[in-house]
Amino acid sequence: MNAIAFTDVSRSYGNVLAVDGLNLTVETGRTVALLGPNGAGKSTSINMLLGLIRPSGGRIELFGRPPEQAVARGEVGAMLQDGELIPELTVRELVDFVRGLYPEPLDLDAILQMADLTDLAGRRAGKLSGGQSQRVRFALAVAGAPRLLVLDEPTAAMDVESRQRFWAAMRDYAAGGRTVLFATHYLEEADENSDRVIVVARGRVVADGTAAQIKAKAGGHAVRFTLDGQSAAGLDALPGVSAVEVTGGTATLRTADPDATVAALYRGTSLEIRDLRLAGADLEDAFLALTREP
Amino acid sequence: MPNHIRVEILRMLRNKRYVIFVVAFPVVLYVLFCNIVAGQASSGGGGAAAYLMVSMGAYGALSASIMSTAVPWAQERQAGWLRQLQITPLPGWSIILTKLVSTLLLALPSLALVFVVAMTTQGVSLAPGRWALLFLGMWIGILPFAALGLAVGSLVPPDTAQPAAMIGMFGLAILGGLWFPVDTMPATMQTIAHALPSFSYADIGWNLVSGQAPPLQDVVTTLVWAVVLGAAAVFAYRRATARA
Ligand SMILES: Nc1ncnc2c1ncn2[C@@H]1O[C@H](COP(=O)(O)OP(=O)(O)O)[C@@H](O)[C@H]1O
Ligand SMILES: [Mg+2]
Repeated sequence: MNAIAFTDVSRSYGNVLAVDGLNLTVETGRTVALLGPNGAGKSTSINMLLGLIRPSGGRIELFGRPPEQAVARGEVGAMLQDGELIPELTVRELVDFVRGLYPEPLDLDAILQMADLTDLAGRRAGKLSGGQSQRVRFALAVAGAPRLLVLDEPTAAMDVESRQRFWAAMRDYAAGGRTVLFATHYLEEADENSDRVIVVARGRVVADGTAAQIKAKAGGHAVRFTLDGQSAAGLDALPGVSAVEVTGGTATLRTADPDATVAALYRGTSLEIRDLRLAGADLEDAFLALTREP
Repeated sequence: MPNHIRVEILRMLRNKRYVIFVVAFPVVLYVLFCNIVAGQASSGGGGAAAYLMVSMGAYGALSASIMSTAVPWAQERQAGWLRQLQITPLPGWSIILTKLVSTLLLALPSLALVFVVAMTTQGVSLAPGRWALLFLGMWIGILPFAALGLAVGSLVPPDTAQPAAMIGMFGLAILGGLWFPVDTMPATMQTIAHALPSFSYADIGWNLVSGQAPPLQDVVTTLVWAVVLGAAAVFAYRRATARA
C-alpha cells in the first residue's frame, strides 16, 4: 500500500503558484527525501499532506485516507519547519504530554534516549539551544510511534555532529518498517539518508530516483587536484568525465562516476596527482541542470 | 484532556507574570484598600471589607481569566504550538475546551486568596451556605471574560493581544465599578457600567454579601454576555483553526 499519494495536487497563494500539479506516491516502509531549493514548494506540500492547509486542486491520501483522518488516527507524526515549544514546560513534560495523545505511543524513556534528550529531560524548553529544541521537536514527532514520519528541514539549527546523530536516530526509527518523508535543500543530506530522492523545483517534480541516479542526471561530482604545469590533455577522455576546467593550476573534472574517474586518474595516466579532493554535485548546478527547459 | 489541562495549569503557575499580577496583585490591593477605608472610619468596617472582598475578588478573577487566555493563546498560535497540536490526534474542540476549563481553574487561586484573607484578617463573616453560593457565583461568572480572552487570542497576533487584553481588563474593571463604586460615577458612566458584564458579575457578589438575593437583571446581563462572547470565541476559534 502507498503511505503517501499526491494526485495532481496544486496550491496557490494569491497569484503565486507554490505547488503546480504534483504527482507522487511513496510506498510504505520507504525513506524518501523531498529535495529542492528554497521556495520550491516543499513546506507547502508537507503542510497539505498533514492537513494543515487545503490544496487548491487535486487529492492527497495517506494510507488510503484523507490526511485529517490519518492524523486523527495517530498514523502521522511530524516536525514542521519552524515552531516553538511551551517555554515553561520541561522536555520530559512536553514529550510525555504529546505521547499521551496517541493510541499506541513509544515508551517515554525510549523516546528521550532516541532523541538524545535523556540528560536534558528536566530542563525547561525555554532554556534550550536551537539544536536542542530541534531534538525535542523530533521527539514529539516520533512520540506517538506514527507509521508515517514527516520532517521539514529537520537539521536546520544543528551543528555537524548533531546532524549526524540526528540522522542516525531517524534511520533507527525508519528501520522498524516505518515510512519517512523529509524535506531538505542539501543534496548530501538527501543522498546519505534516503533510499529515494524526489527533486522538486517551482512546485513540480523534476527528478525522481535513487540519489546516485539524481546525481548522475545532475552532472555528478567534482574531482579536483593540483595540476601545476602538467598537461591536461586526455583528462576529458577518462571514464565518467563530462567536463574539464583548469584554473590557477587546479584541475576540476566533472564526473558522474567519481570512483571510476579517480581509479583511471591514478592507473591510466602518468600525472603526478597532489591535493586530490572530491566534492558532491553542487546543488545550484544540479538544479540548473535538472530544471533547464528542454 | 486531563493531561492537557494539567500542562496548561502547570505552565501558568510557572509564569511569573501570572503569579504576580493575577494571584498576588488583587489580594495586595484588597488589604491596601481595606486599610485606607478603615483609616476613614466613617464608611463602616465589616460591610466595607466584604464589599471590597467582592470587588477585588472579581478583579482577580477577571484578570486571571483574561490574562491566562488572550496573550498565551495568541502566542501559541503565532509560535506554531497550535499547529504542533493540530498534527496530533487531539481534536480541535478539545483544544479550546481545555483552554476554557484551565482558565476556570486558574481563576480559583486569586479568588480563594482574597476570600481567605478577608475571612481571617478583615473579619468578614458569612453563613457557610452564603460563602459557598458567593464562591460558586463568582467563579462560574467569569465565563464571559474567559470567552472574551479566547476570542481576542484567536483574532489577533500577540503584540496586539497584549494591549487589547490590558485595555479590556482595566476597562472592564474600572467601568464596571470594581475599583471605585459605580454610585460615585457620573450618570452616563453609570448607564454604561450597568450594561457591562463586569458590573453585573460583581453586583451579584455585592448583593450576596449584603444578605440579598442577586437581582435578576444582573443574572440575565451576565448570561447574555456569556452567550454573546462565547459565540464570538467559538467563531474566532473556528476562523483561527480553519484550514486555509
Ligand atoms: N503563506 C504564504 N503566503 C504567500 N506565499 C507563500 C506562503 N507560503 C509559501 N509561499 C510561497 O510559496 C512558494 C513555496 O514556498 P514553500 O512551500 O515554503 O517552499 P520551500 O519549503 O520549498 O522553501 C514560495 O514562493 C513562497 O514564497
Ligand atoms: Mg520550507
